Amino acid sequence: MTSEKIYKYLSNEASEQEVQQLFEWIDASEEYKKQFITLKKTWALTALTGGFSLETTDVISIKPKNSIRKYFKYAAILFVCIGLVGLVFYLNERTTASKEIVLELGDGSLEYFTEKNQTTLVNDKGEMVARKFPDKILYFGKVLDKEVLYHTLTVPYGKTFQLKLSDGTLVSLNSGTTLRYPEQFGINGKRNVYLTGEAFFDVAKDKKHPFIVHSDEVDIEVLGTKFNVNAYPEDKTVSSVLVEGSIQMSEKENPLNTVLIHPTQMAVWQSESKKIVTKTVDTSFYEAWTQGEIVFKNTPFSTITKIIERTYDVEIINENAVLAKQNFTGSIKISESSVENILELLKHDTPFNYSIKQKTITITPIFHN
Amino acid sequence: MNDNTSFELELFLSFKKGDETAYTFFYDKYFRKIQSFSVQFVYDSDEAENLAQEALLHLWQNRESVESINGIQAFLYTYAKSKCLNLIRHNKVKDKFKNDLLNQKEKELNIEVLNSVQFDTLELTELERIIQESINDLPPKTREVFIKKRFENKKNAEIAEEMEVSLKAVEAHMTKALKILKNKLSDYLFLIFILIYNN
Repeated sequence: MTSEKIYKYLSNEASEQEVQQLFEWIDASEEYKKQFITLKKTWALTALTGGFSLETTDVISIKPKNSIRKYFKYAAILFVCIGLVGLVFYLNERTTASKEIVLELGDGSLEYFTEKNQTTLVNDKGEMVARKFPDKILYFGKVLDKEVLYHTLTVPYGKTFQLKLSDGTLVSLNSGTTLRYPEQFGINGKRNVYLTGEAFFDVAKDKKHPFIVHSDEVDIEVLGTKFNVNAYPEDKTVSSVLVEGSIQMSEKENPLNTVLIHPTQMAVWQSESKKIVTKTVDTSFYEAWTQGEIVFKNTPFSTITKIIERTYDVEIINENAVLAKQNFTGSIKISESSVENILELLKHDTPFNYSIKQKTITITPIFHN
Repeated sequence: MNDNTSFELELFLSFKKGDETAYTFFYDKYFRKIQSFSVQFVYDSDEAENLAQEALLHLWQNRESVESINGIQAFLYTYAKSKCLNLIRHNKVKDKFKNDLLNQKEKELNIEVLNSVQFDTLELTELERIIQESINDLPPKTREVFIKKRFENKKNAEIAEEMEVSLKAVEAHMTKALKILKNKLSDYLFLIFILIYNN
């Protein structure tokens, strides 16, 4: 009876209720507990141990030197990468089904950016609040604080967008990014915007109205300044690189956990340790995407695949563990390169195979026999 | 332990001298094992994979201190065990349940399970031998179900379909297999217990 429950629990098939029941039994009797511990131990130790296979498979095949050398390299590179990278094989959850840039207005209605010509956006009082272009939107005007309405702009994978907020702040939005911001900023109070994804801000100077970028777990407060914020939901970090001015990053839940950074510095929020660390960086590297370029500098392949996925709206499945831990350096002009170009370039450095099926690219190791 | 022993012994000696070929062999042999072991405690296959990679890297760096071929897996499991304990103790393991009491209880139990595994060389080798023997001793159908489930990672429904039996039957075979294994292992652990406390 109990071993059945334990087995169900171990194979992750028990409901929360069943687990609760099981744990109660374990608590109630030392005998059950011993039984549980023995079973779990057996389970863990026999997990996939192999050697009991139904067919007799080749136990070993000695690989040619080439791939062995790579294995070794792998081990060496690992040393650096451990802890930095949660493995690559994430399949991104794309929240927006739409492949278009979508603007959600205060009343929930949606606007698209497909027209060739510029149009204007009018609020319900009949006042013009923004001018819309195919690749950007410019807002103007101010309103009473209580009348502040929010717009939400969503940029899908494969696209980028530019935005001028009503206070004159310029924002470049990278692929796969959502920004929520006031249609018109209030006369008093702070300028609040909410970011998921990556954006470069050139904030209009206005000392009386601090500008705050809110991400999931940290806020970044600025006066007038140029900086980049990277806050993709699948990453465990939020990073901000400062080009000009000064910014302050603070944890939402614990505002005393705060760091002030100066130009050329980067602040990184680490979600797991709840720490904000700073370092000095080459800012051009973090601005490059606003100029239509991707720049890698000793960047892990796992990070590169994420960037390619967002930039080109493809899905990359990497089954090549060696590659996953490789680092690359280089730069790519997005408008002049296809995904194939990039993969061919990377292949040159570290050989691998890949296949493309519609929008899914599968990268596999090269097997030597 | 099996036919590969003398072959592996040679590889082990090369590995000790810093031969990458030999290292690759042990890497391939143990990576999945360590990952599969760890995932039972950290509940995150990426985390477990990182952990296994760390363990194997650590093995390479400390190859000179590994004294026997059986020491390799003792080394790796010991590393995985202490890493898992650390992750649990520092609350780095994701919560599985809505009810926080359950999460807490699970952590406590996992700590006990991990602590109960003493990876000295003898125990592991012995344990593996006994597990292997016990599996071989299982009734044929039960054995087939157990192998499909544990080593081929198949779902109950898949096994039922493949073997043309009911889902209930698959579950029953699994329960039976675990019962037999538990009995064998308990005997063994009992023996160890007596050996340790009579010395």
